[in-house]
Amino acid sequence: MNRPPMLMHVKVKNEKSDFGLWLPLFLLLPLALVVLLVLSPLILIAVLILSACGYGRWAWWGLRCLKAAVISSWALRGLKVDVQGRRENVYISVV
Amino acid sequence: MSDNKKKILEMLAEKKISIDDAYRLLNVIDADEGRQSGEPKTESEVKTKPKYLRVSVMPDPDNKNSENVDRVNVRVPMSLIRAGIKLTALIPPEALDKVNGALRDKGINFDVRSVKAEDIEELIDALGELEVDVVSGRGEKVKVFVER
Repeated sequence: MNRPPMLMHVKVKNEKSDFGLWLPLFLLLPLALVVLLVLSPLILIAVLILSACGYGRWAWWGLRCLKAAVISSWALRGLKVDVQGRRENVYISVV
Repeated sequence: MSDNKKKILEMLAEKKISIDDAYRLLNVIDADEGRQSGEPKTESEVKTKPKYLRVSVMPDPDNKNSENVDRVNVRVPMSLIRAGIKLTALIPPEALDKVNGALRDKGINFDVRSVKAEDIEELIDALGELEVDVVSGRGEKVKVFVER
């Protein structure tokens, strides 16, 4: 199993600004997990209500989307985007 | 002959893939079958697990127009590609019909729903052999390859 991403480095450099940002994903991911746990009863109620109203298919689809988003963010480790234009440089790296 | 091999030969007969692609895919299947039958892994088989897909656009040093070319260097983890492909399972059937229709309009007769997860896994494994080099007239040198 892959390890989750720990840090995201975003760097933007152009004529007006030059800034770099280290995002501590290892702190954000547990926070997101806690938020998800706190909201899970509400999500469950929403799914039950939507199912009762005949929108159950869309409720399950939403849950599957949520799961897919979590899996995708887990797989981000190793992503690197480096674009050096004439006027702007953008660098994104996930480690 | 396994079902996967038959599928590849069918795709080749329908001209959906090239002879080279079919050869690579058949090699991957042979390697997998060898592994399942308990044969020891060779060094090249161990190495073929691709980790990243790399795309780079660099100015061509031999071209005078290359001064205005942007430099792009992208490294995408294969795990992210796999996750992205799994996301296609979330596309509603109505949208898939539209995608198929759009492909048909472009002259591509292909049903997106016929793509299965196991086929995609084989294709990703086969990406290990991929290497594309393009030198454009605008002074760009585009390279797509797989990093292990």
